Amino acid sequence: MTTVIPAAGWAGALLGLAASLVLAVLGFRVQRRPDAVRHRQLHTTVWCMLGGAALAMLALEVALLTDNFALAYVAENHTRSSSLLFTLTTAWSGLGGSLVLWALVLAGYTAVVARGVRSTDDRLGTGALAIMGVVGVFFFGLITTAANPFEILAIPPADGPGPNPLLRDHVMVAFHPPMLYLGYVGFTVPFAFAMSALLLRRGGVDWLRRTRRANLVAWSFLTGGLVLGAWWSYEVLGWGGYWAWDPVENAALIPWLVATAFIHSSVVQLKRGMLQAWNFVLVLATFALTILGTFLTRSSVVVSVHSFSQSAVGPALLAFFVLVLGGGFTLFALRGERVASLSRPESLASREGLFLVNNLLLSLFAFVVLLGTVYPILVEAVTGSQVSVGRPYFDRMGVPLAFGLLLAMGVGPFTPYRRATGTVLWARLRVPLLAASAAAAGVVLAGVRSVGVAAVVALAVLMAAGTVRQLWVSVPGRRPGDLARLLRGQRAYWCGQLAHLGVALVAVVIAVSGGLATRATVILDRGESTGFAGYAVTFERSEEHRWPDRLVTDAHIVFRSGGQVVRVDEPRLNSFPGRPQAVGTPSVWSTPTRDIYVALADLSPERITLNLYRYPLMAWMWVGGLLVVAGGFWAVSGRLRGRGGEPVPVAEEVATRV
Amino acid sequence: MSSRVVRIGTVAATVLLLAVAVIGLLRGGPAPVDRAYELEQRLRCPVCKSVSIAESGSDTAVAMRQVVTEQIAAGRSDAEIVDYFRARYGDWVLLDPPARGSTGLVWLLPAAAAPLGVMLLLTRRRPEPAPALSGSDRERVSAAVERIRAAEREDEL
Repeated sequence: MTTVIPAAGWAGALLGLAASLVLAVLGFRVQRRPDAVRHRQLHTTVWCMLGGAALAMLALEVALLTDNFALAYVAENHTRSSSLLFTLTTAWSGLGGSLVLWALVLAGYTAVVARGVRSTDDRLGTGALAIMGVVGVFFFGLITTAANPFEILAIPPADGPGPNPLLRDHVMVAFHPPMLYLGYVGFTVPFAFAMSALLLRRGGVDWLRRTRRANLVAWSFLTGGLVLGAWWSYEVLGWGGYWAWDPVENAALIPWLVATAFIHSSVVQLKRGMLQAWNFVLVLATFALTILGTFLTRSSVVVSVHSFSQSAVGPALLAFFVLVLGGGFTLFALRGERVASLSRPESLASREGLFLVNNLLLSLFAFVVLLGTVYPILVEAVTGSQVSVGRPYFDRMGVPLAFGLLLAMGVGPFTPYRRATGTVLWARLRVPLLAASAAAAGVVLAGVRSVGVAAVVALAVLMAAGTVRQLWVSVPGRRPGDLARLLRGQRAYWCGQLAHLGVALVAVVIAVSGGLATRATVILDRGESTGFAGYAVTFERSEEHRWPDRLVTDAHIVFRSGGQVVRVDEPRLNSFPGRPQAVGTPSVWSTPTRDIYVALADLSPERITLNLYRYPLMAWMWVGGLLVVAGGFWAVSGRLRGRGGEPVPVAEEVATRV
Repeated sequence: MSSRVVRIGTVAATVLLLAVAVIGLLRGGPAPVDRAYELEQRLRCPVCKSVSIAESGSDTAVAMRQVVTEQIAAGRSDAEIVDYFRARYGDWVLLDPPARGSTGLVWLLPAAAAPLGVMLLLTRRRPEPAPALSGSDRERVSAAVERIRAAEREDEL
């Protein structure tokens, strides 16, 4: 009985592998000769691929739920005392399982692509399916060989150690990894269409149009994954921050930066017919970087708080990365000439010119982060000596680029296409500029002495005021219905602005919470008090609680204001049986104006060491992130309606209404 | 007339407000720097995973923070304190890699890539003049255009 489930999972993985292989072969054949394969065959193959992946995932979940310790994956990653939620999420807490999830998401995206391929005459679509088949072969191949989660143990243990403690402490493990995967894997779709277009020697906007939705979906999910990851890190890791420039965080950020550049440059191609070759480069790079990111996460080359697994898939992923990069760019080099657009922007002072500036800045940003991330690995490989590249490097390199991006976001969306004259720009920007300088003056008069904070606030207000002004002059009438019509009609533009406003908000919070933070490390005996951020902070007592899966030690920290108790924080330490590392859970007291963050550094019944942080405006960071994600998804929903229709070049229309 | 007043007023107000901000920032002088915290962020925790000693709660990090605080109190400069840790742990302890030796390239490459990118942005390729169509091509094009026009006329009817 115990072997039925693993056998089913194994069969599912094999079915997926076979279907991917068949899809690749059929796809390439039908792309060359559209009558060689019937449409039904392609669809059946894709359904087999999806069915196989779903069966594998289902088998894994059933094995976890039934405590089937005969499975090596269950034995290594599960424990009987896990709650239902963390039992389900254990399916992607280890290497093999996370690859099954990857394959499932990939098969899902493949099925969506297949739905859009209406007949075998659609050579762009069938070629894309073939490429997705190739990628599928690789990932199903990993599941069935190097990272097989369905291996059966001859002598099953009675219980296992459970997942890594960090992966069973917060509900976020149910959302953050799947969202990242939906983002990461989604970039396979634009890549597949780009490769297919190159194989067909067909440039143009066809492949762009057909992948914009998938690309936006992937980008929105990746954005959401990054924001949730930052929040998780802030709520769980207890070092008082949300972004550590850790290699694995960077691995998700780099493709995001490149994909963001692509979203902007694809607009230039659709509207002005420029940057065709560059778009191919960006799409190729995005996909290759997701594979590189997976390599960094899933092999032991980097030491990171996120490297939950070490195994033989590292070399395989590296080889696949080299194959994608080598194969992709060889194809691009051979065919790039035919797909390149010859026109260039007339002037840098134009919408498309600023899109170019944005692309340069984002590419440089991605390059810097990539370089800083892989540099220690390369140095160690070449010279054998160990070096570190950390926050100071990334901050110093990233901050000027981020300011450039904020400035481009403040000016670009309000600049006309083709060529902007000084008069037009001044007419559009003078009110936002006035608002920005007023904001800067206000911040300084309020006593802030940080140049960075004042500058970021000014740029964010420039962006917000510019958006409001644009909305004001574009609304045809003053009835509520007019606004709704405008937002629907120019959906792509206003979704972009919504995302920009989210970025502006996040930038302000990053600057303010970093620049105006208060930190203190205090040692308190029981009953002793100290002052922090205007409160009297007292260590009342510490208690031990035995939970089903762990031992929890918490400290009761009481905040008093004017003698009144206003808050009791209970930061805790969690010890899991069989795991040496205790996991701290900080306590975050969040209000709209500030967060007070309490983390336990050391704890004995009579004395504690606390790290206290006060971050102004911190809670708004998650709101900003939500706005960015909302902008992305809102834009996706628009494309469903406007299918096939030429989007109205609204910006030109707006340009005449200065 | 009034629009001109508004325009000049906007410029004047913008400049004035910016001046207020700049003067305020200059007069306020640099914000007080928490030297110990700045230094701690630049030093890697030797027993942790890729975090600085400012962010780690490990005993080693606590001890290292203690050393930083003591040395600042003893009047040592930032460079001296960093060198003290480098002598003990090697270059590895610096999260802020020095711009020389084996970590020079990590600074040099972006510094080289940025001007290169800007140059690419500024150089404008002149579109080559398209070769003139031969007589037969020209006829084929006009025939095709005529066909499409005829088809569109039919659609309209």
